Amino acid sequence: MNFWDARFLWQEPMLAAVIGGALLGYLGFFVLLRRIAFMSAALSQLSGLGVALAFWGGSLMGISPHDETPWWLSPGTVSFVFAAVGAVLMAVPSKSKRVTSESVVALSYLGASAFVMVVLSSPRIAQEAHEIGDLLFGNAVVVKRSELIQLAAAAVVTLVLHGVLFKSFLFASFDRDTARVFGVPVRPMELVLHLTLALSIAVATRALGALPVFAFLVLPAGAALLFSERLKPVLALSIGIGVVCAALGYYLSWTFSLPTGSVMVALAVCIWVLAGLKRLVEKLR
Amino acid sequence: MDLLHLQQVTIGYRRDRPLLPPIDLNVRSGDLLGILGPNGAGKSTLVKTLIGLLPPLSGTLALPLGRRPRLGYVAQGSRPDFTYPLSVLQVALMGRDQQLGPWRRPGKADRAVARAQLEAVGLAHLAEAPFRSLSGGQQQRVLVARALTAEPELLVLDEPTSEMDPAAEHGLLSLVSALVGKRDIAVMFVTHQISAAAGFASTVVLLDATKQYVETGPARELVSSERMTKLYGRQVEVRNENGRALVWLSGRTDAAEGSATP
Repeated sequence: MNFWDARFLWQEPMLAAVIGGALLGYLGFFVLLRRIAFMSAALSQLSGLGVALAFWGGSLMGISPHDETPWWLSPGTVSFVFAAVGAVLMAVPSKSKRVTSESVVALSYLGASAFVMVVLSSPRIAQEAHEIGDLLFGNAVVVKRSELIQLAAAAVVTLVLHGVLFKSFLFASFDRDTARVFGVPVRPMELVLHLTLALSIAVATRALGALPVFAFLVLPAGAALLFSERLKPVLALSIGIGVVCAALGYYLSWTFSLPTGSVMVALAVCIWVLAGLKRLVEKLR
Repeated sequence: MDLLHLQQVTIGYRRDRPLLPPIDLNVRSGDLLGILGPNGAGKSTLVKTLIGLLPPLSGTLALPLGRRPRLGYVAQGSRPDFTYPLSVLQVALMGRDQQLGPWRRPGKADRAVARAQLEAVGLAHLAEAPFRSLSGGQQQRVLVARALTAEPELLVLDEPTSEMDPAAEHGLLSLVSALVGKRDIAVMFVTHQISAAAGFASTVVLLDATKQYVETGPARELVSSERMTKLYGRQVEVRNENGRALVWLSGRTDAAEGSATP
């Protein structure tokens, strides 16, 4: 069966990858310029811990991973709550001279990573651990309809909020003190920005996997910043590179039977290297 | 027009530990207010209190306009993140945020105001250039243009030239002084350069948290050899010669053009 004939198999995962690539490519602009790449990795791990705990909680209540769970215990809800709480805590600047913001992020990342493994090794959910692993870290080959809908909803929410507040997000990120003096509600803006990031990461990690999500948050925007010095082209390129890597990566992985997430990431790395070479040539001229 | 009245205001970060003795100060349109003191004197804390980033610990900070005066602000060191892919015009347009609020986007009229301020600082021809491609001095002028784009009633410059040499600081303050002469606004600037305060300020606030010392008054009276020596704890001589304020600081000469009493 050729690629096109098999479209009924790949339409939904491809669409999820493209939406994820565009959404995360856009958010990567703020992730890179605010220097919170490591925070996005921590949020991904926290949302993973939420998924694991949702299953563990379900097993305590006698609910199988294949059965319907109450909404408040669904992996989607719990993973978003964990990521959102993490985003809120990490958005608050540390006033302590002994606890830096970086150490809060590192603690979240390491703590969440360790506790996920502890929860997954629990005898209560040991049998479903492999399946839960797919849910935790994604499997871009197969994406459920519900995950696609959640990803599209997260993209719409982010699009609306950023469409309205982009100017304030940008000013608060570029020059925080002056933005405050000029009346920009900096902390609420940072909170909203981090919550949209948490929502997108929580949903996209389950659909695409932790590695592609982290890559889409860092590499397309990084390449775009090397390709252009203008705001609109940088944003357009970030989104475009995310979309191309997602779609082409899916196609190549299907055609050559390669791991989907890894091919998407490898393509994004290649584009970043190309952008770097272009920049180098420009400097040498 | 009166903009701010401070009556017995104390400043700092802890109510039980004010940085300085109570301060009395009036800020009016047309004032060129210099804030002078050594490192750690409390200069930036005073500025943050005046512009509403910190609440006063005690005393009264009255707002004669019934609201805070519209502010233009160039922050200490003024090192925004230069990795952002923004044009000079986009940076200047950020000054319109007070008028636009978080929701509205700048329109043609806002762009015209920003371009006019870039023209005023001599950078209109670079409006579309990437901000990060400019020299340090040009970036400072863009930030002054952004502050002016706010159409401020009070322009606050918090050591905007701390990374500049005295000549560059003199150039920036000359520019601001000339611009202010054409508008009915007050300017408050924090500086380490005695000559800058002597050359450009009409009123000065001298302060030092370590010595618990605050004094406010006309620049021509307070920027004197005696007070500067007391403030900095080393021999300082200030002279006015042919409209130039000359400052000798332990053998080093620091000069500013212009009158000490503008």
